[in-house]
Formats: sequence, structure tokens, C-alpha cells
Amino acid sequence: MTGVFESPKTRVNASMLVQYANRPVCFIGRVEKVHPTGKAFTLSDGEGKTASVELKEPLEEELSGVVEVIGIVSNKGTIMAAAYNLFRDERAITFDLELYNEALKVIHDFPQYYPFEMSSSG
Amino acid sequence: MCIYKIEAKTNTLFSHYFKTNYKSPGSLMLLINSTCRKISKGHNLQAMYEQFGVSNIRKIEGGSGPVRFRLMMSDGLHTMSSFMLSTQLNSLAEQNLVAPNCVCLLKRSVTNVLKDGRPVVIILDMEVVKPADQVPGKIGDPTPYVEGQSKAPQSAPSAPAPSARHLQPQNGGGTARDFGKKPMPSTPGGTSKVVPIASLNPYQSKWTIRARVTNKSSIRTWSNSRGDGKLFSMEIVDESGEIRVTGFNQEVDKFFSLIEQGKVYYISKGTLKIANKQYTSLKNDYEMTLNGDSTIIPCDDSHDVPMLQCDFVSIGELEARDKDAIVDVIGVCKSVEDVTRITTKNSREVSKRNIQLMDMSGRVIQVTMWGTEAETFDGTEQPILAIKGAKLSDFGGRSLSTLFSSTVMINPDIPEAYKLRGWYDKEGHALDAQSMTEMRGGGGGGPTNWKTLADVKNEHLGHGDKADYFTCIGTIVYMRKENCLYQACPSKDCNKKVVDQHNGMFRCEKCDKEFPDFKYRLMLSVNIADFGDNQWVTCFQDSAETILGQKSDYIGQLKDSNEAAFDEVFQHANFNTFVFRNRVKLETYNDESRIKVTVVEAKPVDHKEYSKRLIMSIRKAAVQ
Repeated sequence: MTGVFESPKTRVNASMLVQYANRPVCFIGRVEKVHPTGKAFTLSDGEGKTASVELKEPLEEELSGVVEVIGIVSNKGTIMAAAYNLFRDERAITFDLELYNEALKVIHDFPQYYPFEMSSSG
Repeated sequence: MCIYKIEAKTNTLFSHYFKTNYKSPGSLMLLINSTCRKISKGHNLQAMYEQFGVSNIRKIEGGSGPVRFRLMMSDGLHTMSSFMLSTQLNSLAEQNLVAPNCVCLLKRSVTNVLKDGRPVVIILDMEVVKPADQVPGKIGDPTPYVEGQSKAPQSAPSAPAPSARHLQPQNGGGTARDFGKKPMPSTPGGTSKVVPIASLNPYQSKWTIRARVTNKSSIRTWSNSRGDGKLFSMEIVDESGEIRVTGFNQEVDKFFSLIEQGKVYYISKGTLKIANKQYTSLKNDYEMTLNGDSTIIPCDDSHDVPMLQCDFVSIGELEARDKDAIVDVIGVCKSVEDVTRITTKNSREVSKRNIQLMDMSGRVIQVTMWGTEAETFDGTEQPILAIKGAKLSDFGGRSLSTLFSSTVMINPDIPEAYKLRGWYDKEGHALDAQSMTEMRGGGGGGPTNWKTLADVKNEHLGHGDKADYFTCIGTIVYMRKENCLYQACPSKDCNKKVVDQHNGMFRCEKCDKEFPDFKYRLMLSVNIADFGDNQWVTCFQDSAETILGQKSDYIGQLKDSNEAAFDEVFQHANFNTFVFRNRVKLETYNDESRIKVTVVEAKPVDHKEYSKRLIMSIRKAAVQ
């Protein structure tokens, strides 16, 4: 498999994670809990379902608000993060996770019109 | 039916006619002649019909109006002179088909009781079953009929005529009155029957209705050359139908304070006339005017009287309805605008309030309410609003307006309201935020008519008599910065272009004045594009300032002083995306017709609302 950064990362919500085991995904959620070790945290998506994120290195900053994570989904359904991006300030407040979730569903319901996975090397 | 025959035999025709409900099938009459024998033998069992012999006929020529014929009829025992031929039957008399001694079959008639108690029978449909020349002469020896003097109404079917004996039912003696009729509540005072609203007509006066007031107007006054006065009107409903009731002057004083909207009343002795459909949307050919004899009595036992009869139209279907149609709608009051005061054409100041109404079609429509209704309306808790008789207008696409005759009910106690509330709380509220946006996109001018630029061309918007309005998302791809500014009259509210007098003065033709200065105003041609097409549009002052992000005087200053900075303003504005609300109209200059699109309003894209709308359209498209 090519690296996470080179391959298309499907945008998913928590309930879609299991179908994407061993594949690169992009997940946006609100930070719920950060593990004391700083190497894992949980995010809740627009439906209120949570996903676990595991990091290779411990966090170097405080994490709160809305975070976008890209990584590979493990067999357990956790996201092995390759990178994350914290939505800061205004964007953390105004980002509408529920609306984002609706958009996600549209993308997945009509893959013929949203062929984001086309170049996926599988 | 057997019962009637027997009763008819034992009563005289007239006493029966007026003592029983002449509308019921109990009015079968027998007359002692050959035709009647046929009836009794069952050859003609149309029980509604009554047979009379004509004794006399008189032509009445009033000062105005058509000629009326008055008939004296005989049933063989009695005569009665107060039969009027309705004018459409005048030909019968004019052609001498109805002549003394002929035998007639009354198919339809109504009885009016005059103020002095005399009955008048209006004959609506009649057939001459035996012409006068085939009748040897007067049948029997009838005497003038006086109500109550008949010896006949002895209750005894004990001696029925032999011809009818075989028809007598085993249990005997039932009263014809109750037969086949739903028992109606008795009236207070018991003077007349409670009848359904649907049966009211101008030819009857002895009735009482039991109905709920669904709408009561405020008192209106008028003043014209013929004097002044006041009136109020109300709409009442029962299970059979609805009718509009109006009271003038004295009746306003007498009844207005008594009537409460939503309550049930016994109403009797109103004057009925043909409804003026201009003022009412009710489904009734007649309307009622209260007069000095009218009575209105509250009725406490009212649970079985329907609340309001509405024929709700889905908001989604309103597009297909004609302009000016009167419709009933029910919806959730999604949002409310503030009350505004406007001055009408006849310089009356009224309050007005716009609300956005949404129903299960997922569509929202703007409803304008007026007067006190607008002032007192509280939409903060998103109530269910049922409006009966709102007027559909094509203002801003499609919008509704309440009329004087409209009934607005807040959270009405009807199944539709509960259904809607359930739907809204469960799923509707998720949709509505989106629809609200569309309303706001319209700048308060009614529902937004979202179009892509390709739609505008394909649907030939603006080709009609009136200008069309549409809203689109567009990205600026080019602006003509040449001639985008003009020198306008500096006086307030005058934006007319001034003429440079080249002496330091600028002349405004409109104000007929010269000024030492002018103000810069914008008129900017912009090419906007979306994913499918592009379009030249004209932006005036406000919308041009919005898309350029600068005030016109500043832009004017830059143009005169710093061309680089001036250009930069345009560079900055290029490729920005806005929501444009536009007016489109086909205009002809020098025999050349072209579509002219003017931007009414430009504003930044609210991406949240835009994506909500896109998601909804995608979902909608997927369902189709």
C-alpha cells in the first residue's frame, strides 16, 4: 500500500470506520477525551458516535474543539493517525459537524457522483 | 313510505303539507282523481311529489322585475291561493299549460312563511300531469284552507282508505316526522326545527341553525354619500356546510358583543341572499344578513359541531395554483418578521407582518398578516398556524396574504395540527432551517426562486409580461471598470446624473439646480458564472459596493487620484462568489431584444446554508 499521504483518503464518520479497515480515511470530530499518555484520544462525529484515534507520538499540545485526522483504520476500527489538524478559534466554534455528516452521507450514498476513491490502489 | 300514504289519506293534503316537513319524503299527497289512483297503485312512487289541481291562476305584474304567476290550488278538499310559480316556470302559464282545472305534480317547492304567518309556496319544478281540457271540471268541492281548521289531523289511522290499507305497516301509527331523519337537537323555544346550513335558501324563513362561529370580523364603518353605518361579519359552520353572516348597524349593537369566535349558537330568521363571491371564499351560494327578527342564542352542547371546515392545500402544491386563488393552509410558523407599518393606496396606515410557514411538503411560503392580527401575533414558539381563506399571490414567486375574511387559528385543535406538530418536532425542524435561509436569501421579498444561470436561459425567464426574479450563486469572472462610476446629483434621494457645466458647477435636470459638487455612484457591469453558464448583470450602487467591498465615493476618489489602487479594488473583487438576487426582463432597444439582468441584492455566500440547500436538493433529486 502506498502511504497515507499519497492515496485518496475517504471522508468517513464513526459508523463507516469498520468498512474501511486497513484503508486511509479522513475523519473530522469533536475532541471528547484525551488519553493521559497523550498517545490516544476520542472524537465524536456529527451523529454523536465516537471514534478512537491512536498516535505514534504523544501529543505536543492541548487538544480540544474540532480535529481533522487522517490515518489508516485498524482492524479494531480505530484510526491510526498519520496526521491531525486542529480547527482553531472561530473555525472550531462555527464548524457544523452535523451538516458535515449530512454531506458525508451524500458522498457515500452517491459514489457515482463523488468518485473520490477512484485512484485508490486497493 | 307506507306510513306517509296512510297519513296522507287521513289528513288533508294541505294540513299535511304544512304540518310535516315538506322536504321529507313524507309529503306524498293523494288527490281524488285518476292520476292519484295511479300513484296509489304504485305506478308512480316518487314520494317527493305532490299533486294539486289548479283552481285559478292570476298574473301579477309588479313595478319592476319579471312577471310572476300566482296559483290557487286545490287538493279536492281545500283550496289555497298562495302558490307562486318561480319565474323559470312562467312559460307553463304563458303557454296556458297551467290553466284552471289542470292537475299538476309539484316536484320541488319551498315554503316561505310570511311575517303574518301566512305560508307561501314557491313552486320550483312542476309538471302538468293532466291538462285542463282533459279534466271535466272542478274536482270535489274544496273550501279555502285555513291552518288548524282541518278536521283531518285526528291521529287515527283507524279508518284508512281501502286503497291504501295493504300498505299499512304492522306496527302502525309511527310518526312520519321522525322517519328516516337523524334526530336533530331541539331548538330553544321550540319554534322551528334545527336545519343544516346546507339547506338554507332565500325561499324559507322558518328555520334555526346550530353552528359554530369560525371567524368574526371586527366592526367596520363606512361613510359615503348615502350616509354612514357599520357592519360586522362572521363565518359559521355546521356539519353540512358553512355560510357567511353579516350584521348591520342595529344588529351590530345587538349581536356583536354576544358573538365569540369558536362558540356555537342557534341562529334563526336571517335574510338569505345570493353570496357575493367577491367578498367571501365560503362554499355556499348564499349568504345571510341579520335583520330585526333574527335571534342568536348561545348553545352549550356544542361538541358535535365541527370546528372549522378547511380544505388544506399542501404548500408544495401552491406553485401549481392560480394567482389570487383562495386557499386553506396549515403549517408551522417557522419564523416571524417584525411588524411594519405601511400606508395603503387609499392612504390608510395598516400594520403588516410577514411570517414563514412550512408544512410537510418541506416547502416554506411567506404569509403576510394585516392589522391587529399582525400586531398581536406571537410566533416565538413556532406555533402551528391554520389559515382559512388566504389569498395566493405571485409576489416574490408565491406568497400568501390573509384577507379580511381569512381565519387564522393558532395551534388549532384539529388532527392535521397534531400530525404536523409531530412531524415538525421529529424531522421537520431539520429541514426548515434550510428553507428559512431561502427566505432570507430573498431579502424578505418572498420565497427565493433559486436558479442556475443555465436555468434562467432554458426556462426563458424574463420573457413574460412581468419581470422575473431569481436568485443564484455566482462567481464574478469579469467586471467592466470603464464607466462604472457616474457623477450624480448630491441632493438627498436624488441620484440623477448631473451635467458638468465645465465651470465648476454640475447641473441636475431633475432638481433643476446647479451644484458645486456631485457624488459618485456606481453602475457596474459584471459577468458572473456558475458551473453551467455565465451571464452579464448590472449592479447598482449598493450591490456594486458589496461586491467591490468599497464605498462608491472612495472608489471615485481612487479613480481620480490613484489608478493603480483603483484597479486593485477590481482585482480583489474578481473571482469572488456571491448570492445574487436578480431581476430579469426582456428589453428592447432599437428593435433589438435582449435579456437584461439587474442585481437587486448581492451578498456573501453563507456556506452553511448553501450546503444545506444543496444537500436537500440532492436528496430531493434522488427521490425523484
